[in-house]
Amino acid sequence: MTRLSLARLWVAGAGVAAIVLAAVLAPLLGLPDPVRMDVAHRFAGASLAHALGQDGYGRDVLSRLLWGGRVSLFVAASSAAIAFGIGTTLGVLGGFLRGVTELLTVRAMDVVLCFPPLLLAMLVVTLLGPGAGTLILVLAVLYVPGFARVAYAGVLSVRAQDFVEAMRALGARRPRIMLRTILPNIAGPLLVQFSLVAASAVVLESGLSFLGLGVVPPTPSWGLMIADARASMAQAPLLLLWPCLALTLTILTLNGLCDALRDAIDPHPIPRRRRRLHEALVPGLLPAARPTGAELELRGLTIEIDTPAGPIRPVRDVSLRLESGETLAIVGESGSGKSLTGLALLGLLPPAARVASGTAWLRDAPLLHQDEATLRRLRGAAIAMIFQDPMSSLNPVQPVGRQIAEAIEAHHRLSARAADRRAIRLLERVGIPDPVRRATAFPHELSGGMRQRVMIAMAIANDPPVMIADEPTTALDVTIQAQVLALLADLKREAGLALIFITHSLPVVAEIADRVAVMYAGEVVETGPVEAVFSAPLHPYTAALLASAPTEGGVPPQGIPGVVPPPHALPPGCRFAPRCTRRIDACDAAPPPLVEAMAGRATRCPRWAEP
Amino acid sequence: MIWALKRVGISLVLVWIVATIVFLAIHLVPGDPAELLLSQGGVAADPGAVAELRGQLGLDRPILVQYGQSMAGLLRGDLGRSMQDDSPVADAITRRLPRTLELIGAGAILALLVGMPAGTLAAIRRGGVFDRTASWLAALALAVPVFVTGTLLVLVFAQSLRWVAAGGYVALAEDPARHLSLLAMPSLTIGLGLAAVVFRMARAAVLDVAGRDYVRTARAKGLRPRHILTRHVVRNALMPVVTVVALHLGSLLGGTVLVEYVFNWPGLSGLLVDAVSARDYPSVVGIILVISVLFVGLNLLVDLLYGVLDPRVRHG
Repeated sequence: MTRLSLARLWVAGAGVAAIVLAAVLAPLLGLPDPVRMDVAHRFAGASLAHALGQDGYGRDVLSRLLWGGRVSLFVAASSAAIAFGIGTTLGVLGGFLRGVTELLTVRAMDVVLCFPPLLLAMLVVTLLGPGAGTLILVLAVLYVPGFARVAYAGVLSVRAQDFVEAMRALGARRPRIMLRTILPNIAGPLLVQFSLVAASAVVLESGLSFLGLGVVPPTPSWGLMIADARASMAQAPLLLLWPCLALTLTILTLNGLCDALRDAIDPHPIPRRRRRLHEALVPGLLPAARPTGAELELRGLTIEIDTPAGPIRPVRDVSLRLESGETLAIVGESGSGKSLTGLALLGLLPPAARVASGTAWLRDAPLLHQDEATLRRLRGAAIAMIFQDPMSSLNPVQPVGRQIAEAIEAHHRLSARAADRRAIRLLERVGIPDPVRRATAFPHELSGGMRQRVMIAMAIANDPPVMIADEPTTALDVTIQAQVLALLADLKREAGLALIFITHSLPVVAEIADRVAVMYAGEVVETGPVEAVFSAPLHPYTAALLASAPTEGGVPPQGIPGVVPPPHALPPGCRFAPRCTRRIDACDAAPPPLVEAMAGRATRCPRWAEP
Repeated sequence: MIWALKRVGISLVLVWIVATIVFLAIHLVPGDPAELLLSQGGVAADPGAVAELRGQLGLDRPILVQYGQSMAGLLRGDLGRSMQDDSPVADAITRRLPRTLELIGAGAILALLVGMPAGTLAAIRRGGVFDRTASWLAALALAVPVFVTGTLLVLVFAQSLRWVAAGGYVALAEDPARHLSLLAMPSLTIGLGLAAVVFRMARAAVLDVAGRDYVRTARAKGLRPRHILTRHVVRNALMPVVTVVALHLGSLLGGTVLVEYVFNWPGLSGLLVDAVSARDYPSVVGIILVISVLFVGLNLLVDLLYGVLDPRVRHG
């Protein structure tokens, strides 16, 4: 929980406490009797004895406000408490026992939700007559399903967790499990629901009282006071304002508490992006060196993400070079920073992440630190990208043909029909049968392999010289993987496409790539031609990675001992040192630089030359 | 198609359950309706008169027979006769329902026109001045009960400024200008609260959609920001917003009771409030049934609309 949300919780809590305290202490404040009339002083203004004046019957307004709050809050609190007790019990029972109990306790209550709340209340008032008792009953009935649902959902998610399973395995008795383990875990959402219900109960109580169907006069209630004051609006508009204000403030405070509670429970911090001044002022002025004629060149890319525990650097000092027509594979485990590197090149980093330093060129065009309009013209036209999961990467409610066509329209002036025709030709080119019909299909109507072909069609729509493919085959099964790889190889050959292929699969690297960059914990640890790197790795991590992959020769795969260090607790020296079999003391002293070991090959391991 | 039929079937079952519950509520709750009706003011009723009324209302027949009769009546559209003036309940409802629907419709249109663009803008400029101001206003609008909003509007625009009449109703055919001027304040009252809901929902939906992978794809294609916003973000964010609006329209059917009362708008609710005060059971039951049916029907409409907006649902 952040400090800010904690502070909000305190403020909202104090507000609610103040209102409750005022209502509870009303009898002790020495105010005039809220129901004593004094017709001689009807509509009298503020005086020493009557701080807010007197109403149409000469009753003290301040006193009625406070006593009215007592009634409202009493009705709200007791109905919420009753609904909480019954609803939570039913929800917990339903969620824990499942089966018939679930049907009876949770599903059956959903019927209550078929009635608009105020109407159900009016039905019950017709049957039982108005009064605070009826109100409490009605409101309790209305709110039971809400609590039951929250408790039910909470129990379902908690009971699946290991520790509940563990307790059951240990033979703990059921009631004990429920009380000790489940309730504390679902307390948060229930607390939110309670404050939500309390606010809603105050609204409904005042509404019913306003209609004359709630609290019975002369008992003061805010709803009744507003109804009374409406009649004398012309003489005494202030009489109307006070109860309106009291009611609104109370609900606002309760809602505030509810929001604060929800934020406090919700663990997702709001990412706050702070742009550095020089980034805002001089985009594009940072590149120091000039491009060197490569199709794509990246130097010293470092990406920073702000977390509550401070900034982390999931990508540090990454340099890559892609010659024209070449395929470069970036290989690494998940979390090694390979996808972020690809996204950074197109300026598509998620909002929480930012490029802290580095330069990149696409031929002569600088890439990082560019404004959105410049990048927009490059994306899709000069550099395209394919993503891992074609299902979520395609808009679910647009026909796929249109999604391809709009990629063309973004960079060319042509009619929608012409674009649609080109989209169909592209579908044909990526090997989709019956492209005319498929163009009108929605993504969910296609198979996974076809969806990825659509993504590829979209990427090649404007014949870009460079394409980044971020794990394009990971979400597909093996035979489809092979087809998609073959398609990419075809396109590469036909169009002379330069490709950055991000993957965690070594066999895929061997199949498609010319050169490989191995990433570990946010850094490139080794680069070089695929055959050379695979046959004689220069970095212990590459060697370990190769040893961990299943081979045809029958050598059993070897796991790498230890785990990837989390990005907020990286070792001070070489990031692979804690897991490395060739580690020496010098490895822990300082991060080793990437050094050119032999022509076209680089490694971060200073011991590469040793046997 | 099968999917739509299934939705209709579920809705019909829901309506039947609601009707049964209303029937049971009247007949199984302790206290005899006839006795309650005749014993107003705490004076015990004359047993003879109670028995006579029970006969009139058919309360002396076995409960299953009564249940069968009232369900059969419902199927014919017969909701019984009012206890206040013996007129058919269905007639009064048909006369007043369109006025209530007009109010809700006007409020909903107003809410969508204000809430959707404001929510989208707030999401785009998240954390900016507009976002913070609008979010705060929405929180305020949500905290003020409708009858307070309505009453305060009357105080300002009718009582102090004298721009419009405090309330009342004139048929559209009779005097269109006056009809609209009388419609303004009650529909604004409904619209304000609903606009706050739409705003919050639209803001959350736009933020959610903006973080989706397909929006990243749209950016990767080099689409113009305006194109991404209209074709990919707002279009897809509409679905949850429409759902929420429609669901709220349902509870508005109840909430308008207060608005109509404040502005003296002769819709369903005046009928309902009178019927509740007079313990006019056939009228109360009839009105609540009609509103519940509308509520269920509206949910059905949302489901069907969802199928139009989201092609995935049709196949689910």
